Amino acid sequence: MIVVLFSVLAVSFWVLQVVQHAKFEEMAENNHQRTLALRAPRGIIFDRTGHVLVENRHSYSISIVREHTKDLNRTIRLLAAVLRLDESGVRDIVNRHRREPTYQPIMILQDASLAQVAAVTARRLDFELPDVVVEQIPTRRYPETMAAHLFGYVGEVSDRDVADGESKSGDIVGQSGIEKTYNNLLMGEDGAKRVVVNSVGREIRTLDEDPPAEGKRLQLTIDYDVQKAVQDGFKNSGYNGAAVILDPNNGDVLAFTSVPSYDPNAFAAGIDRATWKSLTADELLPLQDRAIQGRYSPGSTFKMAVATAAIEEGVVTPDFKVYCPGHAVFFGRSFQCSLSNGRGHGTVDMRTAIEHSCNVYFYTVGNMVGIDKIHKWATLLGLGEKTGIDLPNEVQGLVPSPEWKKATTKTHEKWYAGETISVSIGQGAVSLTPVSMAVYISTIANGGTRYTPHLLKAVDDGSGWKPVPAPAARSSVQLKPETLQMLHDATWRVVNGNGTGGGARIPGYDVSGKTGTAQVISLEGAKSAKGKTEKDLRDNGWFVFFAPRDNPQIAGAVFVEHGGHGGVTAAPIAKHVLQTFFAKREGRPLPVLPANPPYRNPLMKAAAVTAAGPNQN
Amino acid sequence: MFERRLYHHVDWALLAAVLALCTIGVVMIYSTTADPTRASSHMHLTQLYAIFLGLGAMALMLMFDYRTFTDKSHIIYIVLLAVLVYVMFFGKVQMGARRWIPLRFFNLQPSEFAKLGVALVLAKFYGENRGAPAWAELGIGGLLTAIPLFLIAREPDLGTAVVLLPVFLAVAYLAGMRMRVLGVLCLCLVLAAPVAWRFGLKDYQKTRISTFLDPSQDAKGAGYQQIQARITVGSGGLSGKGFKQGTQGQLRFLPVAHNDFIFSVLAEEQGFAGVLVALGLYLFVILRALEAARLAKDRLGSYLVLGVLASFTFQVVYNITMSAGLAPVKGLTLPLMSYGGSSMIATLAGFGLVLNVRMRRFTN
Repeated sequence: MIVVLFSVLAVSFWVLQVVQHAKFEEMAENNHQRTLALRAPRGIIFDRTGHVLVENRHSYSISIVREHTKDLNRTIRLLAAVLRLDESGVRDIVNRHRREPTYQPIMILQDASLAQVAAVTARRLDFELPDVVVEQIPTRRYPETMAAHLFGYVGEVSDRDVADGESKSGDIVGQSGIEKTYNNLLMGEDGAKRVVVNSVGREIRTLDEDPPAEGKRLQLTIDYDVQKAVQDGFKNSGYNGAAVILDPNNGDVLAFTSVPSYDPNAFAAGIDRATWKSLTADELLPLQDRAIQGRYSPGSTFKMAVATAAIEEGVVTPDFKVYCPGHAVFFGRSFQCSLSNGRGHGTVDMRTAIEHSCNVYFYTVGNMVGIDKIHKWATLLGLGEKTGIDLPNEVQGLVPSPEWKKATTKTHEKWYAGETISVSIGQGAVSLTPVSMAVYISTIANGGTRYTPHLLKAVDDGSGWKPVPAPAARSSVQLKPETLQMLHDATWRVVNGNGTGGGARIPGYDVSGKTGTAQVISLEGAKSAKGKTEKDLRDNGWFVFFAPRDNPQIAGAVFVEHGGHGGVTAAPIAKHVLQTFFAKREGRPLPVLPANPPYRNPLMKAAAVTAAGPNQN
Repeated sequence: MFERRLYHHVDWALLAAVLALCTIGVVMIYSTTADPTRASSHMHLTQLYAIFLGLGAMALMLMFDYRTFTDKSHIIYIVLLAVLVYVMFFGKVQMGARRWIPLRFFNLQPSEFAKLGVALVLAKFYGENRGAPAWAELGIGGLLTAIPLFLIAREPDLGTAVVLLPVFLAVAYLAGMRMRVLGVLCLCLVLAAPVAWRFGLKDYQKTRISTFLDPSQDAKGAGYQQIQARITVGSGGLSGKGFKQGTQGQLRFLPVAHNDFIFSVLAEEQGFAGVLVALGLYLFVILRALEAARLAKDRLGSYLVLGVLASFTFQVVYNITMSAGLAPVKGLTLPLMSYGGSSMIATLAGFGLVLNVRMRRFTN
């Protein structure tokens, strides 16, 4: 009987060890081997001179791996206590991932403080939290919280993108800005590490390692110092707005900003709900990229488009003169000129009309040219279409035309000639993005070539920098010499003559530009209903510029929200940018704006309170 | 007393097989516990000391005629009961059970020696009677077994307590107990099972049994050990992962690998080949001891050998079955291989008695 018993035992072992060996061997391996993902750092982003704009730092994430959890409730309770987190919050996170495989870590805390890491590690050594893992992961860092809208931010990939097969669950991908446009370049390839763990999940040794490959490095066309100058200029003024500064000879974006901004670092390690809510609820819309997504009436900056159309189409010559009595009547309606005292400019030619921003002159000329030709030439100069900048979600501006009106009105209304009068001075339906205004003034500066603004200058995949060719120009028209001569003379006189742009004058650098002061018509109804003060309805200020006049090196558009007269608020920002640009070019010390701004936007006090309020929740 | 010629009648083959199993045990204990970074790295040494103490006890058992022990068996039995009662009240509590008496160098586990005591007293009781035991004799024998069994079960140590049952059944069977009686006893057990389930078993014992029936229902709790045991054995394969190369035992997926699950570790690291060697040795030991029972010069001797052998065989078979995850997990050690001083000393002492009976088969 004993022999039979032992034979049965031997056969049982034979079945387990020999027949079913493969199955159990695999189970044993699953038991003691773990594959850990090694996150690849995203590529570092540099400015055109090699200054680091975006880099990576190490952050610690704390996760629960349920594979060996005996009592999940106990783990949640203890972990919440150790991390000083709200227990129900931790439970919510776990519940959301409950159906995932148990070996998949559930991240509880993405950017843990060193104190939290130490607390968890101590408990792990005591075997109190064997199912909690601390991982070191590279996290995006934006050293100076500058140009947030330009760089964008990163975040966990959406379920939809995972479904598309573009990324895998848990990947950190660019959600906006450069991070999104060039996500494929910036994203590295995650590695993996196979380790041996014991029964309480502690790593004993590494079996093999497939190191992560860092993402490609990008060099942008941005110039750090010019970028800083733009932002300093806005900070100093206290206004919100946007600015895009270009190299008019190729479309390189030298600086790009939208104010108010946000801190992209808050997104890098997973933004918390309160911060996100306060950002989205903020009336000032800090997440909106005003430079490519905001559409504003260009005001008088539009006059060069009308002037170009008039000369190129042969309607008038630059010497064409109009008498300005301070107002003019068209189609039975009276239109005001730009001077507040109601006086007129007298008899002015085209140069003087631009210099002094005479409305009556452009009412008259615009009426003569007609909406179709204004539309044609404004488009050729870069207005009313997307510029094609390499940033996501650019919106298209609008230069109205009869076709547009017919298509967008319900009753297919036709264009009334009276509407052309408002369009001629950049009001009415004209609404344009700051980036297209920068292309517009660049095209005027370089004589007719409409470049595509672009941000990527070179890519380094580890084998050295490879320059990225600039995108082809969108269009190129040869403007008549007399057009160009007139435009350059007039814009030079705006700044250096007796014009409205004196605030941007830098002796010796022939700054040329045009101010704009646009009524905030669209806001009027909504805002006054909410009981806002008149100041909320203050005009938007513009300044478009290039320099030097005869050999333009830099061009740009500065838009100041509710800034009132563009010559007062926008031109000084442009001046600081230009001074910085030329000082850097010539190796002189960069100008510094006074720490205490001489004046501040009277609106900002109230605005700052509303902006700060929700942020602290 | 020990006479010189008796020396030649010692069953050296049996002794060698026993020592071989002890050696395998020490090696496996070393494999699973020796780690310079861990405090428990001296366990294999402790086991070696226990083996030497056990050999001493074995020599002591050989020195006197086994009849000397059976004659004193009532005293031994009473002392045993006293010690078990003492443990009940003053024993050392470890892992939720009161089983040990702390001595200077190690903790003594009296229940291990109860097997010997019961084997002695039953051999004596039935050995002196001729013919098939009457109902009354069966009842007395049962009572003699039941008292220590009850005391041990209360510690609680159900595993060791149950080991006493085969001792009684084997001796009573050999003494002529009819199969019908055995049938009645089994029927009683079956009928008593629901009652015991309801009142007698602790919760952890219930879960052990119910998870045995379906281990996957509680893969993280009680079924864990069983699943891990199967993985451990199965992943060993034909030739094993090699000395100290096991993952299940080394990385502690299998609990108490040096103790209850030492055979699983052997299966993992030495594979089916190692399993066959160990099984062969155990089979040899058992068959050789049975031969001693057959050769014994009197009924007393064969009863004694069988009593000792019954608990040993039961434990070996049960533990090995459990090691493969084929039986409910119970705190039953594998005699001669598992880590544990008391068990080793008592088992070697028991083999001392077996050798004694065989050695003195020609003396009067």
